[in-house]
Amino acid sequence: MSVSESETEVSARLEFEQAQRSEGWKLLRGLLRDQRRNLVIGGLIGMSWAAFKVAIPQVTKLAINDGIEKNGPLLKWALIIAGLGVLTGILSGFRRYVAFRESRWAETLLRERLFGHVLDLNIGYHDKAQTGQLMSRASSDLMQIQGFIVMIPITMSNVIQIFAVAAILFITDPVLALVAMAPLPFVNLSARRFSSRIHKITLAVQAEQAQLANVVEESVSGVRVVKGFGAEQVQFDKLEKEADDIYAESMKAAKIRSNFMPAIDILPALGAVGVLGVGGHRVLSGQISIGDLVAFNVYLTLLVWPLRNVGMIIALGQRAASALVRIHEVLSTKSEITDPPMARDLPSPNGKQLGAVKFDHVQFGYDADRPVLKNFNLEIAAGESIAIVGATASGKSTVARLLLRFYDTNNGHVYLDGVDVRKLKLRELRQQIGVVFEDTVLFNDSVKSNISFARPNASQADLEKAAKLAGAHDFILQLPNSYDTVIGERGFSLSGGQRQRIAIARAIISDPRVLVLDDATSAVDPSKEGEIRDAMRTVMSGRTTIVIAHRPGTIALASRVVFIDELTVAAIGKHEDLVATNARYREVLASMQNTAPDFLEELVK
Amino acid sequence: MWQAGGVSDEDRLSRAQARTILGRVFKMAAPFRRTMYVAFGCVMVTTATTLSAPVIVRHGIDAGIRARDTGALNLSVVMYLVVVSLTYVFGRMLFVFVNRTGESFLRLLRLAVFRQMQRQSMAFFDRNKAGVLVARMTADIESMSELVQWGLLQFLSAVLMLVFSIVVLLFLSWQLTIIALIVMPVLVFSSIKFQRDSNRAYLTVRERVGANLSALQEGITTVRVIQAYAQEDEVKSKFKVSNRSLFAAHEKSVRVSTWYFALVEFSGVLASALMIGIGGWFAHRGTVTLGTVVAFVLLLSSLFDPVQQLSQLYNTVQSAGAALNKLFAILDAKPEVDEHHSPVDLPRTGELKVSNISFTYAGAENQALDDVSIRVGVGEKLALVGPTGAGKSTLAKLMARLYDPQTGTVEFGGVNLTMASMTSLRERIAVVPQEGFLFNGTIRDNLRIARANATDAEIEAAIDAIGATEHFAQFSDGLDTQVRERGSRLSAGERQLVALARAALVDPAVLVLDEATSNLDPGTEAEVEHALERLMLGRTVIVVAHRLSTVQRADHIAVVVDAKIAEFGSHEELLARNGHYAELARAWVQSHSVN
Ligand SMILES: Nc1ncnc2c1ncn2[C@@H]1O[C@H](COP(=O)(O)OP(=O)(O)O)[C@@H](O)[C@H]1O
Ligand SMILES: Nc1ncnc2c1ncn2[C@@H]1O[C@H](COP(=O)(O)OP(=O)(O)O)[C@@H](O)[C@H]1O
Ligand SMILES: [Mg+2]
Ligand SMILES: [Mg+2]
Repeated sequence: MSVSESETEVSARLEFEQAQRSEGWKLLRGLLRDQRRNLVIGGLIGMSWAAFKVAIPQVTKLAINDGIEKNGPLLKWALIIAGLGVLTGILSGFRRYVAFRESRWAETLLRERLFGHVLDLNIGYHDKAQTGQLMSRASSDLMQIQGFIVMIPITMSNVIQIFAVAAILFITDPVLALVAMAPLPFVNLSARRFSSRIHKITLAVQAEQAQLANVVEESVSGVRVVKGFGAEQVQFDKLEKEADDIYAESMKAAKIRSNFMPAIDILPALGAVGVLGVGGHRVLSGQISIGDLVAFNVYLTLLVWPLRNVGMIIALGQRAASALVRIHEVLSTKSEITDPPMARDLPSPNGKQLGAVKFDHVQFGYDADRPVLKNFNLEIAAGESIAIVGATASGKSTVARLLLRFYDTNNGHVYLDGVDVRKLKLRELRQQIGVVFEDTVLFNDSVKSNISFARPNASQADLEKAAKLAGAHDFILQLPNSYDTVIGERGFSLSGGQRQRIAIARAIISDPRVLVLDDATSAVDPSKEGEIRDAMRTVMSGRTTIVIAHRPGTIALASRVVFIDELTVAAIGKHEDLVATNARYREVLASMQNTAPDFLEELVK
Repeated sequence: MWQAGGVSDEDRLSRAQARTILGRVFKMAAPFRRTMYVAFGCVMVTTATTLSAPVIVRHGIDAGIRARDTGALNLSVVMYLVVVSLTYVFGRMLFVFVNRTGESFLRLLRLAVFRQMQRQSMAFFDRNKAGVLVARMTADIESMSELVQWGLLQFLSAVLMLVFSIVVLLFLSWQLTIIALIVMPVLVFSSIKFQRDSNRAYLTVRERVGANLSALQEGITTVRVIQAYAQEDEVKSKFKVSNRSLFAAHEKSVRVSTWYFALVEFSGVLASALMIGIGGWFAHRGTVTLGTVVAFVLLLSSLFDPVQQLSQLYNTVQSAGAALNKLFAILDAKPEVDEHHSPVDLPRTGELKVSNISFTYAGAENQALDDVSIRVGVGEKLALVGPTGAGKSTLAKLMARLYDPQTGTVEFGGVNLTMASMTSLRERIAVVPQEGFLFNGTIRDNLRIARANATDAEIEAAIDAIGATEHFAQFSDGLDTQVRERGSRLSAGERQLVALARAALVDPAVLVLDEATSNLDPGTEAEVEHALERLMLGRTVIVVAHRLSTVQRADHIAVVVDAKIAEFGSHEELLARNGHYAELARAWVQSHSVN
């Protein structure tokens, strides 16, 4: 918010926030529509519970007046009260059950919706979105909403309880009722103030805790640096500062609590003092009975919790509203890459070799002002294999991403088998392209599920065939549970080269028309690369293949080399020819290989 | 919340453990014992005042109203008011003092655990995953903050309330007290059973929340692969399964609590029913007065509430105990590589001499180094090469005393490294992981990691020494540029430059480098190479080499194979020998040649 914000700007912003809020509430209403019946039932149960709860002191009063003072039937009264106890017990249990069940259900459904929506959003969205942000939408924001929904049936019964108690008190003795209830509105008022203030300070404490966590995290992850330079004290000083901040914020929170908690306890007690004083004199003057007086005291205690809760639900509602707005923001974001309205089909094989790729005058940049590819033309015949070579950040991977239609070009077209990729159903397009990304991403799952990711129903034979082609079968058999070994962060850890080979198997299992290998063997130990290279030759035969590589041995697998430089195709030709004729090509290759050329010559001799 | 924490069975403490932990906590809390005593005094006062209220009401009814004594009634009212005010005043104090005690304790714990963590040697960090250590310092300590903020207070006042209530009730009428306590066993028994069940249900919930969050996170972070293979629908339906099973766990845990809360509510009312029935009968017989029965009806809640509160605290206390147990384990861990009790400073320069060292990582089956000896003279450069896992990095780490060998010695200038003072050791021998690890802060802050008290001029000199002054001058904030988490603002090459500048700032006699394997773009690559060359000038260098250009520059090459030094000599000598080195080089060259 800038200081110079004019009045019209302020009102525009407020209007916008208002609109956002109402969208948020609309989302909640839509969510709860299907659960309306159960929520109403929960509300009714809560109301009946409140009614009985309120009746108990009334009956107790009668019991004292009639049963004890007037020597009436004690057993009858005791049984009535016990019976009411059974009823309130059952009802309160159910109220809780319904409230929690329904709120969890709403949360569950909303989480599924959110996850599904996020998965469908285009990659450009994900480039900008932070995982942490999306995670907190799906966890803490949903928790806020669940916390609010839980309170709905409880609030309904609380409101009923407040009104019922107030009514009884006023019927019994209006004057005494006023005395008893006078301090109570303050309970609600301060509960509301407390909720919002404590919420703010809680966030501050959490922020400080996060900062401390960062210091610990970097000290532990960077322990080699810390130990290497003896920087323990430097890190300790940072940590001490964060620990002091946490202490300071926590004590602020304690102050706020100390202002509220004891106050909320004595406000009803003040009412009780009034009841004893004023009520005592009214008993003496015969206006009410002793039983009435006792009942008054009991009713007062019945009011404390409901009033506190009403104050809190207002604060909870505010928090839930902001959470709803944030979730709505995600849900209302539309994917920029979607299926076309009238999709075309890819030509079917009919015995022909398929997989022709064409980039036609493509212009593209991730940001409008910084082009990555300009006037980019490339034609790859069906079944042909080409290598893409270029310096770091020259746009090699971008070519693969455009083919997958992760992004749309700014100008020009990309064709697969003569069909503009924008005219194809995304699923159909992407099923025909198998990519091995430069940073190998595997799932925390079995080797089997990882390889068969693109074809979940693949047979064991298919699985092994793909693994063999990728040169992965042998080491998979060495794993503790062979194909059923769980890999990844929480499972068995594989070497970089092994991971890449599994990713290659994953790419070829569904027999795609086009295979893209983005630096796919970079982490494979040089001594092992020879092995997979033979395998790769088999994979590549009879399939359009785009290999992004910098090792000459890998480049040699392709029939042509496409050299990208200065945003476009700078040269196309055989590796040997480019080495011989293109100085820039030699320079780029040399730097990618981290090698001293004279040393190479010496060895090759 | 009633489900504050969950304690898995293996985390549950034995009684003896619990006692030791409690003892240590009190010892640690010694510096703020006064605050604790004040807090305790406040609890006594507020409990007493809270409980005296019904007694005063009874007095007002019996002595004032029933005896038609206006004076007595008014006196009761005034006393009531005084008691309420006292409750308020001491209640506020209580909050502040309890929190001050608790938060001071947590602060102390944070500092102590972190300090002890930092004293540990590398082996400790191998054993404990980063995530676990971070969890100790965060989640485990924070799990106690609930206890500190209100749990402790509630625990104290609930116990006192229970004890005082029973005393007051006994004082009023022992007959009615027995009646009031009839339901108690049922309540206690069901509370304990409920805690058991809900703890189990809660652990399932926690586990599934974890799995659900992992599934979410995995889905979001792998979205590129999912979309590339058009598997959105499959991943969604998998997520749905995990999500629904989380719901089922939530539902189960609510069901567990449903009957418990019903029972609690019922037993409270049942106690009043008994009081009316039996107490009324006593009143008829004149055993007790009507006022006493009324007081009992009112006092029942001060008997039942504490029991409920205590049972709800059970889990909070349990999980705090489990957390403390883990934290104390860190405080008790002895660092394996520690400073000698009478350390000597290392000489300014000297030969680095490794004599017959063997080393096995804790828990590993095979030796990582097997009887290795090597000497590096002043200003000489030694390159370590060999297949992955041969022991190159291990040898380099031992030469900088990040670990101690099980047998054999590492000496610098004739002094055994185990005798050297840590300060002089870190000043003479600097380990530079080249994949520059950067900390949140400015570039300047990141250099000061190496020497906290370095002046700005010294920092600039260090940057200049590696020839990177011009490079960082391009940044609009220069050396004050915030590098963000892990240095994400800088490129990989720039991070390496900062790492090298750190070493230049220390100006060590020996540099231990584990060469980066990452690819840099041609421009930065040249700059890093250049910086490295300048840094190595005139120093003894041990480098785990991944680039042949580096190997070539070395005076000596040690080929490490299977935990032993298989070959040692210069580049030319080794090529001529046509052994491991020549073979390695050939394999490497082949992958870079056509076919
Ligand atoms: N998701 C993205 N958002 C913005 N810029 C990007 C993104 N991915 C790549 N770039 C930029 O586009 C250029 C080309 O990147 P890329 O195709 O990955 O290069 P290469 O694969 O040749 O190393 C680089 O300047 C890079 O920084
Ligand atoms: N922190 C560690 N804990 C246990 N084993 C380790 C650790 N670091 C390395 N090792 C093992 O010790 C052996 C030597 O490793 P290392 O010195 O890193 O080899 P190199 O640097 O030659 O690749 C390997 O078998 C490796 O798995
Ligand atoms: Mg790339
Ligand atoms: Mg290593």
